[in-house]
Amino acid sequence: MSPLMSLSDLRVEFDTRHGRVTALSGISLDVMPGETLGIVGESGCGKSITALAMMGLIPNPPGHVTGGVIEFDGEDITRASNRRLRQLRGRDIAMIFQEPMTSLNPVFTVGDQIAEAILLHQDMSRAEADRQVIELLETVGIPEPEARAKSYPHQLSGGMRQRVMIAMAISCRPKLLIADEPTTALDVTVQAQIFDLMRDIQAKFGVAIVLITHDMGAIAEMTDRVAVMYAGRVIEQGTSDQILDTPLHPYTRGLIGCIPVLGRAAASTDRLPPLAEIPGVVPPLHLLGDGCAFAERCALADDHCRAVRPPLDDKGHPVACHHAGEIA
Amino acid sequence: MAMMRYILQRLLYGLILMLGVVVLNFFLIHAAPGDAAEVIAGEMGGTTEEMMAQIRAHYGLDQSIMVQLWIYLKQIAMGDLGTSYHFNRPVTELILQRLGPTVMLALSAQLIAMLLGVVLGVLSSRRPQGILSGFVSVFSTVGYAAPVFWTGLMLVILFAVWIPLFPVEGYVSARFRGTGLAYALNVAWHLVLPATTLGILFLAQYARLSRTAMIEVLGADYIRTARAKGLGEGKVTFNHALRNAVLPILTIAGLQFGNLISGALLVETVFNWPGMGRLAFDSVLRRDYPTLLGVLFFASAFVVLANLLTDLSYRFADPRIRTGGR
Repeated sequence: MSPLMSLSDLRVEFDTRHGRVTALSGISLDVMPGETLGIVGESGCGKSITALAMMGLIPNPPGHVTGGVIEFDGEDITRASNRRLRQLRGRDIAMIFQEPMTSLNPVFTVGDQIAEAILLHQDMSRAEADRQVIELLETVGIPEPEARAKSYPHQLSGGMRQRVMIAMAISCRPKLLIADEPTTALDVTVQAQIFDLMRDIQAKFGVAIVLITHDMGAIAEMTDRVAVMYAGRVIEQGTSDQILDTPLHPYTRGLIGCIPVLGRAAASTDRLPPLAEIPGVVPPLHLLGDGCAFAERCALADDHCRAVRPPLDDKGHPVACHHAGEIA
Repeated sequence: MAMMRYILQRLLYGLILMLGVVVLNFFLIHAAPGDAAEVIAGEMGGTTEEMMAQIRAHYGLDQSIMVQLWIYLKQIAMGDLGTSYHFNRPVTELILQRLGPTVMLALSAQLIAMLLGVVLGVLSSRRPQGILSGFVSVFSTVGYAAPVFWTGLMLVILFAVWIPLFPVEGYVSARFRGTGLAYALNVAWHLVLPATTLGILFLAQYARLSRTAMIEVLGADYIRTARAKGLGEGKVTFNHALRNAVLPILTIAGLQFGNLISGALLVETVFNWPGMGRLAFDSVLRRDYPTLLGVLFFASAFVVLANLLTDLSYRFADPRIRTGGR
């Protein structure tokens, strides 16, 4: 089976006041039809830029795609015209965002905003579109869809707004749904509901999902395969089981160690702190050197790590680390 | 009807405000130096002490100031703004004759300023560092800083003297006898320079304001959503962004109304436009207090009304206010 979306050696650079910095340096990822790919990493690692690149929405200026290929259904969209990109967006590739509170336009009813997407891509009368809006709102589990279609965003809760965003995203039956931290701004109970909804929708429409998150719990629950990103590169990639059960990169292990375990603090024999953390922060992009970007924060790092960047090699599954699998 | 109740409530507040304005204006005028009876007598070409006393009695100027205020308020309550010392005719009649030209001037200036200003602001927001954006910034700073009478004189030199496209002054050509559409066109032709002069002052503010508002709105999350839907830049800018950026513009439009009226006073004087501003200017020189008070009364009524309309249009434009949400 050929991939639905395929990034090969994608480079994205941004003009900043520190000069031109590389936000993505050679990302390669495949998304298979109908699967869920997780992209995980801390803030600033390039997750959201990867998502925007898939939509052809890298803000330009200041952003530039300076290398590599983004293929959707066999078509290189880095070379596509704006008109072609607009056709794909919303119809074949749809996206839901992190902030349901601010991602809907406050001055239009949610029904109008969903209908706008439908009318843009489908040959349909306004009345038909309105009927479809109600159906969609029902699909995403919004009670009283007729009344809610006439609501303005501020009249809905965060969870409801994210459901509206999902309804809008699936309105044209896209092949790929990109979800950029869709539950970060929501209550824990609502998070679970939104994930349930995304799974239902995937089962019903067979849409492939790219789930961008920093939450390893969400990865465990939702994804088939995972790519771990750090400072603009993919540093480890594999099936969700491989990544969660046998993580090879110290950074991935750190992320998994950050999942709080209930009762860990009480267990006196356990030497681990109640809440684990990875020391330090992601280095600013303009200060990246030649070595491994994680070296400064890594307990295993040696001079070799600081001098030579490790390539993404298959060591059971692809990982970019000189000390893959070693224990500190 | 919550809406009707709201409007009635606002009208009541407006009336209370007007009462305050009338009282304040009355005392301000009476605090000004000069004796109205002497002015009237002067206009009559000199008089005796006896005549002066008669004039004072006739106009109630011999009463104490509190009694005068009481009489004035009673008159206003009955819709009578008094009699002009200079024209010896009811002030209401004088003002109503001049109301049309002033409203026409103020509204067309407002229209020019808002339409052009918003268009310039939107265009320059698309490329905040671009040449057009720089031009708009310079133009709006100069337009706002320049005194309105100077702008008026420059426009006269440019478009009436060097390139004689428009008349220098007046409301309608002196010997013009046309009616209907021909008359309206002649008036419109005379309106171009005064309205542009007054408009430039406000255009600058609208351009700056809408540029800032648009830049902010274009960075909002829902704009990214609109783009992710596959909408083109035109629809993103005008449907999704401008519809939100218009909210602060509306607020300013309402607040500007008072300035618009006072700007009209200067412009009417420069262009000899027969409006309320011109009447106010002449009344000050003639110490025609009832007329001056009448003009101030109408001007404040305008501002109160304009603010009410702004509030209502705001509720119309922003569903968060209409439905009482966050």
